[in-house]
Amino acid sequence: MIALVRMRLVAFVRGGRALPPIITALIVLGVIHGGGQSPAAPAYGYSAVMLFPVLAWQAKLLLDAEPDGQRRLARLAVGARREVAAGLLAASLVGLVFCAVAMLAPWWPFHAISAPGPGEPSLAAGLALGALAHLLAVPAAVALGAVASRAVTRTVRNGVAVLVSGAVLTIVLGLSGSVAPWLAPPVMATARALAAEELPPAGRFWLLASWTALWCAVVVGGYARLRRRRS
Amino acid sequence: MRFDQVWFRYARRAAWTLRTVSATVEPGATVVVLGRNGAGKSTLLQLAAGVLRPVRGAVHDRPPIVGWVPERFPADQPFTAQQYLTRMAALRGLPGPARVEHWIDRLGLGDHRHTRLADLSKGTAQKVGLAQALLSAPGLLVLDEPWEGLDAVARTLIPGIVAEITAAGGAVLVSDHRGEIAGLPDAIHWTVAGGAVHTTGEPQSEADEVVVEVAVRRADADDTVARLRADGHRVLGVRPAPEASPGADASSAAGEVAR
Repeated sequence: MIALVRMRLVAFVRGGRALPPIITALIVLGVIHGGGQSPAAPAYGYSAVMLFPVLAWQAKLLLDAEPDGQRRLARLAVGARREVAAGLLAASLVGLVFCAVAMLAPWWPFHAISAPGPGEPSLAAGLALGALAHLLAVPAAVALGAVASRAVTRTVRNGVAVLVSGAVLTIVLGLSGSVAPWLAPPVMATARALAAEELPPAGRFWLLASWTALWCAVVVGGYARLRRRRS
Repeated sequence: MRFDQVWFRYARRAAWTLRTVSATVEPGATVVVLGRNGAGKSTLLQLAAGVLRPVRGAVHDRPPIVGWVPERFPADQPFTAQQYLTRMAALRGLPGPARVEHWIDRLGLGDHRHTRLADLSKGTAQKVGLAQALLSAPGLLVLDEPWEGLDAVARTLIPGIVAEITAAGGAVLVSDHRGEIAGLPDAIHWTVAGGAVHTTGEPQSEADEVVVEVAVRRADADDTVARLRADGHRVLGVRPAPEASPGADASSAAGEVAR
């Protein structure tokens, strides 16, 4: 499976399909952090929200980079479950690289992190919460990118529709006062928690992590089920 | 390997491509799948390989290592031929370059090893597709129109490769609409038509054959030859009709000899 992960990562980078989401992510980070300074926690919270659609898009691009025939050959070589898992793992690894860039960007080149004021979370706490926000965004974005991938949606039109709908619903259903926030991954809820004047209790973050895990389990489970028939 | 009441269609509302297919492939057997374009040959082969899953029924006892050569090799990948085969060998868990080098040499890919897949000719890409299927000795080799695009020299390699696989106890399924099956004399014939698979069950025996001479219009000769081959007949030759007999259709200008 590791060999297939490597093969897909190399194809994604060497084929040039990695460039559009990289450029888009850099533009998004520039918009977020280029306007001035703010404490670490809210800055990273917004960054995770804004990068979520880009992460989902890069996951879809990575999974779509391989021709359909090659995906079927890989399936024969490593088995159906490993083929599915290798795609998700490769997309997650690229997502983690994006997160590392997003964590570094407010320090360099943007110098966008201000010193914490009285009563605000320390810089270390802000960094840790920022990392958590991005780490929660990655699996949810990969799950959305997977169900939007060509192996499931078959056509470009359907794939774009699923990707855009999923990203928009994640934002809309995540707004305060949403009637069904649990239908979307808690990307917005995490950003709100990081932007709060007082740091929420640790239990709140465990809840957000569990919510993300459950949402991803349902969506990835659906993806794996669909992939059983759609090779 | 056994097809057990297999039904398949590509979408819920689509017509059935295959219906109630029951057939068995014994170890060491070579099965040539015949049929017209769109009859379902490639679908049947992909079901055999495990690339497609039956909508109803099941395929039982598929060997653990399956080599599949798709009809169109997916050449739109940013690898050279050697890089691609090396990575496919890694997927199969094969250590070292020995198997890759063996098939590069045997299939005459040496001059193209550093050529990008997208820049390969159709026939050379088909050889790469053949090589990836043979990296691990397959218990089942599925060849979907393997002769397509290959030059005359490369075509002669396939019967030998098929013979090696079957001699080692593997089974080979191969589709053919070009009448190349003469190189596989002991093959069992399956004909796909109307969503069903008709198995002759026995290897072709020349002793059981008769020669039927058919006269067709010159313009229809190519279509007729293709149709006869698709239906599993051996076309022995095409020649001008010797002389129109009284009362015969004057437009009958070509003679078909088929068994």
